[in-house]
Amino acid sequence: MHLSDATHHYFKKAARIMDVGERIETLLATPLREVKVSISIEADNGEIRTFTGYRVQHDNSRGPMKGGLRYHPDVNGDEVLGLASLMTWKTAVVNVPYGGAKGGIALDPTQLSVKELERLTRKFVDQVQDVIGPTRDIPAPDINTNPQVMAWIMDQYSKYHGHSPAVVTGKPLELYGSRGRDSATGRGLLQVAREILKDVGSEVKRNRFAVQGFGNVGSHAARLLYADGGKIVAVSDMHGGVHNPEGLDVPALFDYARKMGTVKGFAGGRHVTNEELLTVDCDVLVPAAMENVLTDENAPHVRAKIILEGANGPCTPQADELFEKRGVLVVPDILANAGGVTVSYFEWVQNLQHVSWEEERVNTELEKVMREAYEKVAAISRTRKLPLRTSAYVLAIGRVGKATVLRGI
Amino acid sequence: MASKLSNLAICQGLSAAELSALEKIAQESTLKKGGHLFKEGEPGDALYVVLSGSVDITKKEQTLATLEAGSAVGEMSLIVEGETRSASAAAQTDVTLLKLPAAAFQKLLAGNDTGALKVVHNLAKVMSKRLALINDKLVDSLGKKKKEELADFGKILNKWSF
Repeated sequence: MHLSDATHHYFKKAARIMDVGERIETLLATPLREVKVSISIEADNGEIRTFTGYRVQHDNSRGPMKGGLRYHPDVNGDEVLGLASLMTWKTAVVNVPYGGAKGGIALDPTQLSVKELERLTRKFVDQVQDVIGPTRDIPAPDINTNPQVMAWIMDQYSKYHGHSPAVVTGKPLELYGSRGRDSATGRGLLQVAREILKDVGSEVKRNRFAVQGFGNVGSHAARLLYADGGKIVAVSDMHGGVHNPEGLDVPALFDYARKMGTVKGFAGGRHVTNEELLTVDCDVLVPAAMENVLTDENAPHVRAKIILEGANGPCTPQADELFEKRGVLVVPDILANAGGVTVSYFEWVQNLQHVSWEEERVNTELEKVMREAYEKVAAISRTRKLPLRTSAYVLAIGRVGKATVLRGI
Repeated sequence: MASKLSNLAICQGLSAAELSALEKIAQESTLKKGGHLFKEGEPGDALYVVLSGSVDITKKEQTLATLEAGSAVGEMSLIVEGETRSASAAAQTDVTLLKLPAAAFQKLLAGNDTGALKVVHNLAKVMSKRLALINDKLVDSLGKKKKEELADFGKILNKWSF
């Protein structure tokens, strides 16, 4: 099941439990606007090449819409729509004043030069500049887009609308980016780990963690959990992973990864594949790489008691059900990895106020947002006897619903 | 037994002779509390008249109606014999029933029995009324106004606010 279908599945499940009715369900599920554009550029060799770009704006009842912009061959309208709705629920769970959006351009970034990517990005902005903006829709980095791409977007948008750093987040630190943005998702995961472990009468330093993915999310999560006293027993990236039941020497692992460009082959443990990492003996599993890695096939063999969804949609709905039956606690993506969009919000706030926060302030405010979101979701889960994921969707639907009704239809 | 039939809506306008022709095909029986007259999905082969006690009509475990003495159950089976029952009927109390088997009724009809023809006419009237009722309900359900929809949703949100 694609992530977009899974999102709709979870949304529907929560909406039916709340019994919101067919019409309200349709109202909440239907996107506000779907934009599809075609973008033609001159390639470096002089040929004309045409690409398709998308921006789907799902809901703006709680504020301007927010969501990533990805460059990937699989980008299509349906997938982008599902991801836009995921952003509506995610921003609502952490209670940042945003709605949800998502966009992308269908392309293979390895087949394009940096100059071509820049031309493409700027032409895409030409096509969507009248529907995005600091008070309308604020893109951010996603798969294969980075602070440089955000800088191009800011620059191109500003040519139409005047100086507008708040039109995108995830910008370079030198160009109105926020301190702490890089590690935001990892730090959010750390905070959620602290909270849920406290709930089960434990703490980070008494637990063993396995982290799949060593990119923007996984590497910071591993580093921060280790700094908090946690034992990191396994990590992996796209090339493979390393496992040590006694705990990995994380600083040495970072040195190794910096030099070699991968954690695979690190001498402080034995080799594991990405698949094996999911079922190693550990207390907390953090899938922070790809979607659909935990399925009905491997879910019965997962030994962790807690799963923190660092990636979007790492559990299939079937795996999710199996974990619920087995009593494995799954902290859902829309809560666990919401640290990223939360610091994006801080970046936007700083841009609008023309100020720059110290990293300590970013981290403190982030931890507060994550703690409050976790506590709300956990309270719903306790009082209504619902799994954490359904509880998070119930909270989100409630907040979006309230805003919709108060504004009027 | 004639009086038992004459009170029924589907026997309105039948003469004493016509009623007695119907009586001949009717069978009286009793059913203990909780027993089923028929179950949803079974082929329908008879109409039942509740003579005493009450009968619950249920569909998918939801009670649609409770019928008291003097009511008829399963009229449709007289007209379309063998059509599956659209709901279940069970005795809510100990009941006495009068059963009109569809096959025997069809025979009367085939012989142009005037009583049977009048029953069919009466059934058509009952069905017309029900159809009108369903149409009204349908219009109602389509016409749930924005104000009501939002008020209902507001109630749900209050129930689910934390």
